[in-house]
Amino acid sequence: MAILELQRVTKQFGDQRVLKGLDLTVPTGSIFGFVGENGAGKTTTMKLILGLDTLDSGQITVAGQPVRYGQTVTNQVVGYLPDVPAYYGYMTPTEYLTLCGRLTGMHQPDLAQRITQMLKTVDLPQNRHRIHGFSRGMKQRLGIAQALLNRPQLLICDEPTSALDPNGRSEFLDLLASLRGEMTILFSTHILTDVERISDQVGILHDGVLQVQGDLAALKRQYAQSQVQLKFASPTIAKQAVAAIARPAVQTGVHVTVPFQDDYGTMVEATLRALLAANVVPLAVDRQETSLEDIFREVTACRQQ
Amino acid sequence: MQATMTFWHKEWLAAWRNYHVLILAVVFVIFGIEAPLMAKLMPDLMKLALGNQLPIKLPQPTSSDSWQQFYKNTSQIGIFLLALIFSGSVSQEVSSGTLVNLVTKGLPRYAVIMAKYLVAVVQWVIAIGGSFLITWGYTAYYFPDDKSPHVWLAIWPVLLFGLFFIAVVLLGSTLINSNYAGFLVAALVFAGLALLNYVKAVKRWNPLALVTDNLDLVRGTEKITHILPACGVTVVAALVILGVTIWTFNRKRL
Repeated sequence: MAILELQRVTKQFGDQRVLKGLDLTVPTGSIFGFVGENGAGKTTTMKLILGLDTLDSGQITVAGQPVRYGQTVTNQVVGYLPDVPAYYGYMTPTEYLTLCGRLTGMHQPDLAQRITQMLKTVDLPQNRHRIHGFSRGMKQRLGIAQALLNRPQLLICDEPTSALDPNGRSEFLDLLASLRGEMTILFSTHILTDVERISDQVGILHDGVLQVQGDLAALKRQYAQSQVQLKFASPTIAKQAVAAIARPAVQTGVHVTVPFQDDYGTMVEATLRALLAANVVPLAVDRQETSLEDIFREVTACRQQ
Repeated sequence: MQATMTFWHKEWLAAWRNYHVLILAVVFVIFGIEAPLMAKLMPDLMKLALGNQLPIKLPQPTSSDSWQQFYKNTSQIGIFLLALIFSGSVSQEVSSGTLVNLVTKGLPRYAVIMAKYLVAVVQWVIAIGGSFLITWGYTAYYFPDDKSPHVWLAIWPVLLFGLFFIAVVLLGSTLINSNYAGFLVAALVFAGLALLNYVKAVKRWNPLALVTDNLDLVRGTEKITHILPACGVTVVAALVILGVTIWTFNRKRL
């Protein structure tokens, strides 16, 4: 069962076709990492889902209801966190959340209780300090509080971690991960490690269409390419190693990557023998797992060729 | 309606915390006090400035002079101060992205424009009304004459013109993403109407009559029926412009 479906969605700005028939399905309950380069059309897609922009063609449904531009029926079940949330600086967080809550149809005393609960969840004080004095991280946390305020079925986050420092990013991802099971989360990013950390579903947007979509573990198996990475003391020694190994290998600085298809033990033994014979000693030998970055590179490189 | 009311509360909070209410209050209270005071002191000021060189004997000031000053202030400064304060009302929200969260939470776009319009109108009415009452009180105190028999009649056209002018400011602010767009569009419209006033045939229909004929109305040298066509045009134009503003805002990318 999918909470969000996009079918053959197209969008053009001037003569630039941003989306060229995008199909996207977000299963209910998943944490869906929506990946793409800067300018790939992630934010445009999210604005279309939220009815903030008009579709050129195609259809979008949220919880079975079609999304229509300017009509906000589907937004009642959606929480949205923009990449850089903008607030009224003259308001306190409580006043801002009260405004948001009233607009979603929440009433007192449930609203007041929910605001207290959400501010506690995102670790923001409930006092008279106004938002204009908030740091970027605090604003992002207030953003998640407003997005979760009406207990949405679908939480949409647009590049939520791009403006945060490493600690803030880590805390934010933990917070998102803690929501697993409570709601479906669609979050866009170009930081692939964030997706790997919390997502179970991934979609890679490239050239206006979703090139790959599915379970992250399954994708890793599908795109798996076994390789060993050797580290040397200097690039010169690494270069000697590439010559000594006598099988396809790629040098990147002091690292040499050796792809293989046969047995790992046999391959490493043969490689080390060859290196020792050439009097070249690696500092480290590391078996490389297929990462989302590998999949992303392969998918986007394939489509560019 | 519920959403409009919610946004209306937000607009009042903004007006209060951004000192818009304070600025309007201070300026219009000054207008209220200044008009009768200037009328009262003007002969003495002239005497002080020119001494015995004054070739003619200055007439005694009357209540009419006080109201002349009041309507000069409101139509030449007050209305443009209003335009300046509400100039970035929509454009600022669009360019900063503050409406995105609220629209995705179910705030209808028409509610944004309606709430902004109504809050601006109420501020205008309170500002003009307060200023008028102060002038009325002081004028009655300083100039207890019969030169201004229709004081209460002359203020309504000014209030009505405000409805039209605020709609123009909001349209400008919606059309162009600049903080000064609303003010500039309103100033251009005002200048256009002033030029139109040179055409005698349309003078009675020109909304500008609502802020230029007030002294004649106060003195009783012009009847309100004379500017009724202009009143009608002003109300219709305000409604049409408000409709166009909502239509434009519905199509605006946030």
